[in-house]
Amino acid sequence: MTNSKTLIISLTILLALTPLISSATANAKANDKLELYHWWTAGGEKEAIDALFDLYNTVYPDIEIVENPVSGGGGGIMRSKIKTMIMAGNAPDTFQITYGSGMLGSWVEVLQPIDELWENFPVPEKVKEMGTIDGHQYGIPINIMRNNCLWYNKKLVDELNIDMPIKSQEDLFQAMEKAKEAGYIPYAIGAGSGQEFWIASQVFQSFLLAAPHGGPEYLEKLYSGKANPGEDEAIKEALTSIKKIIDSGYINSDYASLTWDQAADLLVEDKAVFYQMGDWVKGHFNAVGWESMEDFNYQATPGTQGMFSLHFDCFVLPQGAPNPKAAKKWLQMLKTVEAETVFNPIKGATPPRTDAFTDMYDEISQDILIDFRDPETVIVESAFAGPPSAWLDVFGRMFSNYFENPNVERGIKNFARAYNGINW
Amino acid sequence: MKKPIQITLFLIPAILLVLIFIYSFAGWSGWASTMSWEGLGGFGHFTGLKNYIELFTQDSVFRKGLLNTLLLSVAFIGITIPLGLINAILLDMGIKGKKLFRLIFLIPLSFSFVVSAAMWAWMFAPKTGTINSLLRVLNLGFFTQPWLTSSSQSMLGLIIIYVWQFSGFATLVYFAGISGVKQEIIEAAKVDGASQFQKYLRIIIPLQKIPTFTILFLLLMYSLRVFDLVWLTTGGGPGYSSEILATYMWRITFNRNLFADGASIGFVMFIMSALIAVPFVVKMRGK
Repeated sequence: MTNSKTLIISLTILLALTPLISSATANAKANDKLELYHWWTAGGEKEAIDALFDLYNTVYPDIEIVENPVSGGGGGIMRSKIKTMIMAGNAPDTFQITYGSGMLGSWVEVLQPIDELWENFPVPEKVKEMGTIDGHQYGIPINIMRNNCLWYNKKLVDELNIDMPIKSQEDLFQAMEKAKEAGYIPYAIGAGSGQEFWIASQVFQSFLLAAPHGGPEYLEKLYSGKANPGEDEAIKEALTSIKKIIDSGYINSDYASLTWDQAADLLVEDKAVFYQMGDWVKGHFNAVGWESMEDFNYQATPGTQGMFSLHFDCFVLPQGAPNPKAAKKWLQMLKTVEAETVFNPIKGATPPRTDAFTDMYDEISQDILIDFRDPETVIVESAFAGPPSAWLDVFGRMFSNYFENPNVERGIKNFARAYNGINW
Repeated sequence: MKKPIQITLFLIPAILLVLIFIYSFAGWSGWASTMSWEGLGGFGHFTGLKNYIELFTQDSVFRKGLLNTLLLSVAFIGITIPLGLINAILLDMGIKGKKLFRLIFLIPLSFSFVVSAAMWAWMFAPKTGTINSLLRVLNLGFFTQPWLTSSSQSMLGLIIIYVWQFSGFATLVYFAGISGVKQEIIEAAKVDGASQFQKYLRIIIPLQKIPTFTILFLLLMYSLRVFDLVWLTTGGGPGYSSEILATYMWRITFNRNLFADGASIGFVMFIMSALIAVPFVVKMRGK
């Protein structure tokens, strides 16, 4: 009996000491680790981040990378996990988020400024401005993403004799009418499985950029909380355009059950002609065997020529990072031409540095890079980067309702109510 | 012979875990819900019941979520309980193909919610889904519905999925309850000339109070905190049409960084569950 009592007491003491023991072990190893979180788990993405890990380990062979890929929700699952970790005082060394004033602004309270890492980082001035919060830099962008892209099925466009590129929104509507008459889906949308945010980030944003009273200046005003959407003509114009594509039957009737990649497949299956989506869809097209420029092509969304709706993926340094030296080395590496060159071609993305090599990219990516580096191009933050992180959630819901009942007057009221409900 | 020291020692880990991971966290959420906590920075200052008052008086999405949660509970339980009872009676009567029948109703119980969600999202898909495709094949195309993709039908779709998933559980509990009815009572009824119908209506069903109570309690507790299936099928949409308290709590906490509001919703759910659990536990202790 005495033995069993001793055993129980020993076990209880051991149980109580376990956290201390594991903490001590962790501290002993802490200096040669880089704990990193990202959401790149799909084909192409995973290989791209692995290439970055290889590069890091080549330069810093003594630092062990503790990778934590968290898939799902376009990074939403990972972001919620990171928030709980940081609030519990258990921040990782670095993690991926979207680069832009609104998104970074939502995190800035728990990030460390990395101004010194921004020295000798040749990117367009607007890019630096996008990541500057209260005069400080917080993230290192690794890849460009262009949002105002209209993708099209080349075979169907040729069959329908549609002249590409389409110059204006009015011409786009005419092309859609042609597609509809021929029995095709003119404009594919995928906003199912909780992906309503594509309507706000792609459909609405592109129509707003192309609206007579819209454009980059208005979009910037809107995304910074300074607009008055209940009165602004641009909102009315964008909502009217959306009403037109719904009422005219230009969109696929099952848009609310398809994900973004399933909507892209409507083009691959020769069912749909046009698709408004960021340039990451090129990676999906290539992955399913569709050849750039042969099977599909893109143009700047009609009415947005000369504009570049932009966001990036970036890595940041949180407060309380256990291995800040390893994290800074990681960030320092990310900004190099080498890192952008090993990562972007595999990811199907394009590099933010203006002196990065361009030879290894396909024609579409090179075209995107030419626009990005052109000083005449007006760069504007996308819905993923400019507004606070609540934007996509709130307006995804608002537009989901609007698509079911496209009443412009009510839509404006709902838009204004949602806008005023955001904490700017 | 009782050994109080050993019993206490063995209970300590379990009690500690429950105290730390359930009650202290619930208490922490309750405390966080009284703060002005927005953004990742910290708790802000004490605001008392302000967050709750705003939730109930100014937040129409919260009210919609609360109503949808209650609607889901009432409709899903209101259908599952009678369906489970009928199935159990049919099994007890020894219907033909009893094994197949039992299998059909019990298989859903073994499915994880993630699998169920993926399967039903696929079956309910308006163009390519099994249900609408089948209707078209049967020349019943006019019956096809948008199902989960319509704001007027999304809750109906969710109720169908939950009834499908849990009717096997209700069947199982009722079948055990019916099998537990003493044979002498049934024999006595037969001697008194009771018909098959009367046997079930007057004897067996009135004796199913405890199974009914158990199913009601467990399903109520579950339905108040559903999340996974709703999140994976409709995500609370279209619009806010199928938003329930748990999905709204997640959304407002992690998408909008309104942590105090999220904690308030969580605490409302905790109170609702406690209002059901406490009387049940008290009643069971009494018995």
